[in-house]
Amino acid sequence: MDQIMSSLAPRTGASNKPAAGGSGAASGGSVTKRLQSELMTLMMSASPGISAFPRSDANLYDWVGTIDGPAGTIYSGLKFKISITFPPTYPMSPPTIKFDSACYHPNVDLVGGGICLDILQDKWSAVYSVQTILLSLQSLLGEPNNASPLNPDAAAIWDSPDQFKAQLMKHYRPIVDDAE
Amino acid sequence: MQQIRTAFDLVGKARMLSMLLENFLEDMRRQQYLIEREVAQYMAEYENSSQADSIVRLIFRLVSWYVSWKPIAELGLTIHAAYTLAFRTHIFSIFPPSFSRGFKELIASTFSLVSASSPPPWVIPADLPPIDPPPRPDYQLWIACETLGLLERYESLISSVCYEYIEAHVLETCAKKWDEPMLPKLREWMTEKIVPWMIMPYARGARSAEEARAMLQGVGSRFDYHVCKTLCDLRIQEIFDIIIDYPDSQSALQDLKVASSRPGFEDFEMMVNRVRGRIQECLQRVDQRSQLVVNLRKANKKRLLHPGADTKDILTQYVSIIRCLRIIDPPGVLLYKVADPIRKYLRERSDTIRCIVASLVGDGESGDSLVDENEPIQPLQQMQADDFSDPNWEPEPIDAGPDFRTNKPSDVISTLVSIYDSKDLFVKELQVLLTQRLLAVKDGNYERERRNIEILKVRFGEAALQVCEVMLRDMTDSRRIDQHVQAQKSVPLHPTIISRHFWPPLQTNSFTMPGQFRDIQESYAKEFHLFKPDKRLHWLSHLGTIKLDIELQDRTVSAEVPPLEASIVEFFSQKDTWTVDELAAELKSVEKTAIVKALTTWLDLGVLKEEDEDRYKLLEIAEALPSGQKAATRAAADEEAPALAVQQQQAEQMKFIEGMLTNLGALPLARIQTMLKFAPGYDQTIEQLAEFMEAARREGLVIVKDGMWKLCR
Repeated sequence: MDQIMSSLAPRTGASNKPAAGGSGAASGGSVTKRLQSELMTLMMSASPGISAFPRSDANLYDWVGTIDGPAGTIYSGLKFKISITFPPTYPMSPPTIKFDSACYHPNVDLVGGGICLDILQDKWSAVYSVQTILLSLQSLLGEPNNASPLNPDAAAIWDSPDQFKAQLMKHYRPIVDDAE
Repeated sequence: MQQIRTAFDLVGKARMLSMLLENFLEDMRRQQYLIEREVAQYMAEYENSSQADSIVRLIFRLVSWYVSWKPIAELGLTIHAAYTLAFRTHIFSIFPPSFSRGFKELIASTFSLVSASSPPPWVIPADLPPIDPPPRPDYQLWIACETLGLLERYESLISSVCYEYIEAHVLETCAKKWDEPMLPKLREWMTEKIVPWMIMPYARGARSAEEARAMLQGVGSRFDYHVCKTLCDLRIQEIFDIIIDYPDSQSALQDLKVASSRPGFEDFEMMVNRVRGRIQECLQRVDQRSQLVVNLRKANKKRLLHPGADTKDILTQYVSIIRCLRIIDPPGVLLYKVADPIRKYLRERSDTIRCIVASLVGDGESGDSLVDENEPIQPLQQMQADDFSDPNWEPEPIDAGPDFRTNKPSDVISTLVSIYDSKDLFVKELQVLLTQRLLAVKDGNYERERRNIEILKVRFGEAALQVCEVMLRDMTDSRRIDQHVQAQKSVPLHPTIISRHFWPPLQTNSFTMPGQFRDIQESYAKEFHLFKPDKRLHWLSHLGTIKLDIELQDRTVSAEVPPLEASIVEFFSQKDTWTVDELAAELKSVEKTAIVKALTTWLDLGVLKEEDEDRYKLLEIAEALPSGQKAATRAAADEEAPALAVQQQQAEQMKFIEGMLTNLGALPLARIQTMLKFAPGYDQTIEQLAEFMEAARREGLVIVKDGMWKLCR
């Protein structure tokens, strides 16, 4: 099945660039359209380990995402749930992203789930998409920016992997499918 | 008597006759209670028995009253007329309402009286006065009715009786009879049954056949019109079924055409009243035609354009409608009006294009193709402006709407293709279909495909079919290249070499062939590279077939199998026992289900044996197989792979389902269905989705628990 799907990728998902391309018009219809096309691109691109989907069919502005810890890092084999909320001005303003699963990470608020990532704040640009955000987050897991930590404890012990792993696993809760 | 006459003469001379008449009428009025009593008596009798006999008796009784009171003829016409008028006025005033009902019944019964008569009813009495025996059984009755003036008074009633009689007959004889033209038969029936009957009420006074004809002319044409109209109405009611039965129902359509568009007196020439006919023609055309359109549209909506109908059936019916309405109405106004909703509906169906394309190339499996073999192949016709320099130009029919497009006699295919705005869609779908067909050809005979392409070129133009042309040339080139390679070095491999850019995306779940097959492929690729240095072969190992002789200890098994099957049996030449997981690891990109299917083929052929769950062993020495098992596994293996386009759509659908299940956890089916609205072009029902999910579950992609679906991880 996977093979057939990836063969489809060039056809439907050939342009990973967002359709709206940063145009100024931010009416509700065009946001919906943009989000729909991003969803389509994301579904068809089959990037391993990242995924997102609208939380319900009623509200296209509220998505749930899943990020797998990248292989070869301390997060390998772990899964994290995030929530993505798009503002009505999207893509002129960045979406609000939070970790729903507790994530022990130098740049993630352990309790609130807030994330310190430049492209989600001042470096945001309309050419970014859900897919690029998810990919950035995934790489952030393996390569934290210890210079501006949200979780100073985590930043402090980052260089001692054993200790860090112990802390990480203490807070990590595996995702249960049935818990919606 | 002589004295009376003299007396009257005297009175007349004295100008007293009018007074005498008044006196007489006054006396008559006084005696009228006698008649009144009898009328009441007979009518009561009729109301009790509901037998038309009472009416007959009443009529004859009234005639005898009339005769007995009649003044003598010598008094002149004036007095006679005054008497008759007074008498009639009186009896009409005393008839109860039920009389007209009874009279109608009586008239209706006269139809059978005519047929009961023994002498040929054509005979018109040469002279009027009563003769013995009367020329026909109902003669006396009609005379009596005329005497009482009933015929004039109840003229409309009489014709309505005849109308009803005609209607009943048409319905009885013509309903559901479409295989022969009914109109001539009805006309014949008119001549044999109705015309003789008509002579009595409408042409009693005729002294010769010519005179009778002249008298019957007007009323006859009305009745003939009614026959046509009744038949029309009936056929319009049945039009949908008539179209289904096309071409067996052609006669019915001819009837409809003749009956609806012409006054139609060809064989009734004696009754043609040309001017009248013209007016009728126009009137009839307009109102009956709109009736036809309304009716057919309603029937189509109810019986054709719903999800339960197969697209193929809708198309067939549409083509039949086109053909049928062209018989009835060559300019195509009716067709345009009826076809509009069908075309709209077909545009919404996803598999319409495929159906049309399949019929374009005359797909073998679909018994009778939509395209008539005899119909000349023409280029697709575009809408064109009227050519006003054409001396045969005719204006659009009066009931054509403002947006009516004169698609002059264009062929069926042009009409079908014009459902869509562009023909690119068709060409694309055509390529997919052509791919399937070309790759299915085994004997190297592409004549049929070539012919199809040539036909389609005429329709769609050279440019549109260029890609198809390349595909076809690839097939012949492959053979040529193969011959060359074989000449250099004999290899038991005959590949089809296709140009990647010109073919629609094929399934690319290719795998590397093991063992000797890979060696063969590589040596072939080497030769090919020598022959065409600028090109490189990329093997699509999953397509094609391999002819194998498997030499085992006690026997040799010959088989022609797909490459995957061959690869698998190749593995068994390395060692005797393999598990599915081991094979999957060797073949890497191949799905387990495909492997199991391939293994099943060998189980059927008795080459392998399933030792226990997922473990297969080579049978060097044959073992008897239970035959039941064999049949069952074969059936499972024969399942056909769905068409490429469907697969693509299902793959998309699966992606979305994976996406939502990954992120939202386990979901019930209804929720998946609503969430799938995010997938563009998703149009499945929840039942179809259930089936789809069930299939995914069998493939091991998802699992279901308590109605909640989740991904298998």
